[in-house]
Amino acid sequence: MTEIRRLPTAPLHAVEIWSNPAAVAARFAEAGAALPTMGRSGPALGATLLRVEPTVWLAEGDIAALLPLLGDDGSATAIGGGVVRFALTGPGWRALLMADGLFDAESRDFDVGACAATVIAHAAVRLWVEAADTVRVYVPASMAEGLEHHWRANLPLVG
Amino acid sequence: MMRTPDGTETLTFHFDGKAYRARPGDTLAAALLANGITLVGRSFKYHRPRGIMAAGVEEPNALVTVGEGGRAEPNTRATDVFVYDGLVAQSQNRWPSLAWDVGALLGPLAPALPAGFYYKTFFGPAKRWMIYEALIRRAAGLGPAPQQRDPDKFAQRGAFADVVVVGGGPAGVEAALAAAGRGERVMLVEQDAILNASLLRDGHHGAGDALAQLHDAGVQVLLRTTAAGYWDDNFLTLAERLVEPGQVPPAHGFVQRLWHVRAGRVVMATGALERPLAFANNDRPGVMLSQAVRTYVRRFGVVPGRRVVIATTGDDAYCTAQALADAGAGIVAILDARPAGQGPACAFPVHHDAHPVSASGGKHGVTGLTAQVGGAQRHFAADLVAMSGGFSPVVHLHMQAGGTLRWDEGAQAFLPDQLRQTGESIGAATQAVPSAPALSLGKPKTSFVDQQNDVSLADIDIAWQEGYRSVEHLKRYTTLGMATDQGKTSGVPALMRLASKRGVPVPQAGLTTFRPPYTPVTMGALAGLAAHDAGVHERRLPLHAALDAAGAHWQPLGAWKRPRAFPKAGESLADSALREARTVREAVGLCDVSTLGKFMVRGPEAAALLELVCATRVGSLKAGRGRYTVMLREDGMVSDDGTVWHLPDGGWTDGGWLLTSSTGGADRMATWLSYARQVLRPQVRASVVNVQEHFAGLALAGPRASALLASLIGEPAPRHMGCAPATIAGVPVLVLGASYSGERAFEVHVEATRAAPVFAALHEAVMAAGGCLYGLDAMDLLRIEKGHVVIGTEADGRTTPHDLGLGGMLNPAGGFIGAAGLTRPALHERGRLQLVGIEATDGGLIAEGSMLVAKTGAPPQGHVTAAGRRVLGDGSGVALALLADGMTRHGETLLAHSPTRGQTAPVRVTAPLFHDPEGARYRD
Repeated sequence: MTEIRRLPTAPLHAVEIWSNPAAVAARFAEAGAALPTMGRSGPALGATLLRVEPTVWLAEGDIAALLPLLGDDGSATAIGGGVVRFALTGPGWRALLMADGLFDAESRDFDVGACAATVIAHAAVRLWVEAADTVRVYVPASMAEGLEHHWRANLPLVG
Repeated sequence: MMRTPDGTETLTFHFDGKAYRARPGDTLAAALLANGITLVGRSFKYHRPRGIMAAGVEEPNALVTVGEGGRAEPNTRATDVFVYDGLVAQSQNRWPSLAWDVGALLGPLAPALPAGFYYKTFFGPAKRWMIYEALIRRAAGLGPAPQQRDPDKFAQRGAFADVVVVGGGPAGVEAALAAAGRGERVMLVEQDAILNASLLRDGHHGAGDALAQLHDAGVQVLLRTTAAGYWDDNFLTLAERLVEPGQVPPAHGFVQRLWHVRAGRVVMATGALERPLAFANNDRPGVMLSQAVRTYVRRFGVVPGRRVVIATTGDDAYCTAQALADAGAGIVAILDARPAGQGPACAFPVHHDAHPVSASGGKHGVTGLTAQVGGAQRHFAADLVAMSGGFSPVVHLHMQAGGTLRWDEGAQAFLPDQLRQTGESIGAATQAVPSAPALSLGKPKTSFVDQQNDVSLADIDIAWQEGYRSVEHLKRYTTLGMATDQGKTSGVPALMRLASKRGVPVPQAGLTTFRPPYTPVTMGALAGLAAHDAGVHERRLPLHAALDAAGAHWQPLGAWKRPRAFPKAGESLADSALREARTVREAVGLCDVSTLGKFMVRGPEAAALLELVCATRVGSLKAGRGRYTVMLREDGMVSDDGTVWHLPDGGWTDGGWLLTSSTGGADRMATWLSYARQVLRPQVRASVVNVQEHFAGLALAGPRASALLASLIGEPAPRHMGCAPATIAGVPVLVLGASYSGERAFEVHVEATRAAPVFAALHEAVMAAGGCLYGLDAMDLLRIEKGHVVIGTEADGRTTPHDLGLGGMLNPAGGFIGAAGLTRPALHERGRLQLVGIEATDGGLIAEGSMLVAKTGAPPQGHVTAAGRRVLGDGSGVALALLADGMTRHGETLLAHSPTRGQTAPVRVTAPLFHDPEGARYRD
């Protein structure tokens, strides 16, 4: 049975690296963290990083330890006030994402640790495959109620 | 009764109010025939009696309304709905009953109602069409649209596949299994409820194993699903029926699902459609396609006739004769158009060089067929005529995908040729089944080609006589191929007639274009879950609940839902808006401005990036200060406006720059900034983050705003165009000294998830100070008085900063996007529309959208973009307008004329500023 859960508010930041990406990556590596590649995610010193744009990572959690690593090559901007997090859990989460979806969530390549930015039912969302049976979806707050309603309506079709 | 009951008739359905029994798996057409019902509908134009001609989606005649109330589906093909218990169907286009239809009186008048009748008869003033249309609609047409709201839901879904196979016949099943065997992700789509139906029709066994085989191979199989459209880049739209038409869905409420599928390769195993023959009265009930007859006999156990004449141009109909004979029917004759010696050997009476001329009979069936056999006419008594005029491969999807066709003379058919996308046609969709040319020897007026639109050979001949040579003109003049069946059975026979008239081969007669959808798609399926909301998607404010509780009257603004006003009991919206605006002018008001575009720009080169995007000077702004700014397109036109703020270092905002833009332009601005950052200046050391939804925003405006805010934050409020972090109700906020109302005002921005206590504190303080909440209408009144432009109205995409009186703000150093575009000489010539104020000279109001004219009937010189009234004082009308050379015309009098509202007001041209021109009210 697939379930939809609205998660509590959490710190979210857009981390943008505007220069010297290799040097920043080296500093991350030295600190024991890695900058995920495009479409992938990974833990980083208390936060989880999702790379959803060429120069931007979505950071969930405490980023205090990351800020010094950015130096003058990047910055972090809080965006959590405008994002509602959902967890879709169960065997039908992939099919549920395909309801009015444009992204191939049913691809075998969209596996644990993968992330993506796409549009579902007109809402620009970010996806993160947290576990084999769970995807986390970051939804603009203004669209959250509508998208949740949309998912709940579609639930019976995905099982 | 055409089928002997065997106890498996477990379903009950109703047709025209009478109950009948059916077997599971019956189509409505099969069930009707099984119950001896041959008259199913009346034709579109002449109300001729019509029965069942086909067994699939090509059926032109047997259109019925299925279901009741809001669930009713008119124009459903009886051959494309499977009977369920309780199905209710009604025949269409008849009164008072199907058997006794008054409209049938038009039949004898048919010679007087040829193609083009409407064009030649119903002309004159347009208003006469109000009369004509009512009469025509009553006399002709299809099933009525349901009057009640559709209670059901429609889903939409995306999907991806390496291979999509369209068609679940033997070729399609084999192709799907082969692709799955190669490890590909495969989807198979079949519009029927079963796979391999053609094997059943042709007497093969083992057809039922296919579904299990496909599932075992990992193929996703969609039954009752039609590939309706094949678009660019191998994109397909599939319409899936989750329940049958008119059927009550399960608890989830969904009846259909529209699939949007991106395929790596498309395999079209779409089969072929049998063509009818054109002879007199070929539209009578009891005249059927040969393969359809075979389908009813072998798949459904229904024998539609006991004495059968078969007219054919090829071999396939001989199989139908055998099927009928096996079922106990008598084969009166096979009339083969080919000369003697052609055709398979058989035990039935075969006549060669034989062509049907006319069917005889009544509204419930045929009694015989007259044919020309070897130069002599003969009559054959029969209760069923099975006809086969050859086969046309189903090339619709192939052609939708941009594929070309080639004509095969031996098959008298168009076959798929080059496909410009990644895919192929296979199976019967590619086969040239030999067929002799069909001769049409009957009376042209009753020899129907397009049976659904009542287009006969005579109509084609008339179109020819009247000079319509192109097949496209023929189609539009006669309506041939324009019915809901899209000419599936009429295309080639019509082309043959046109070609014979022109004396050219069929390909030279031309070919119309096959366009999506292949079969009709319910509008609800296209709208999806939003069908009941007219497709509108709603964005909610972070303070939606609090504003709703405060009495907001909601207004859609784009996708946003925003408070239009906060009317008191018994107060009109206009009165409420004026009261709210006056309260802002005299005391204080609070308004939600969360929807403003907001972008946080950080980094050592943030100011440089902003000076590229903003047309005003930015870099000189000191920390803690802000400025009004405009953003231009590359051609120099204003694309948006807003404010730019240099945030103080330290505090919770910790430096950086905040750029705001209009609500309506926020998404466009986000794209524009991304373009500037990623494409124009990829090397710039700056970050641009969209924080529109991160911050909720509240505007506090009015002469009491500054003191009120100071009391809440415990320190003096920032001066006009100053900004500072602060705390309200224990929550960190950013206060911007910005005004859109012409009063001392502030924007208070707060992280959206923490906005509720801030709103509560501000709201309470405002009410205690004699203020109120205000909405969009009041905001509009205030901004019109102050001459603030709105993107999309005054800045309508054709105006430069100079046209709007903002030229003095431009960065003299240039370098901003649009600077080069602004140097074009044409933008500085006379005659440009420029922003002005307009005031009513008679004390009345001005209609928004009015044309500005020198006198009644004179050409317009401009138009009113936004109209309001003086908030204080006499309440007379003031407005903003775009007027040719307006800046040099202050003091002129004109008329503001609105032909659509029937209003004309005498007006005077002024500067676009009616309130506090010195800006004194911005200062404490």
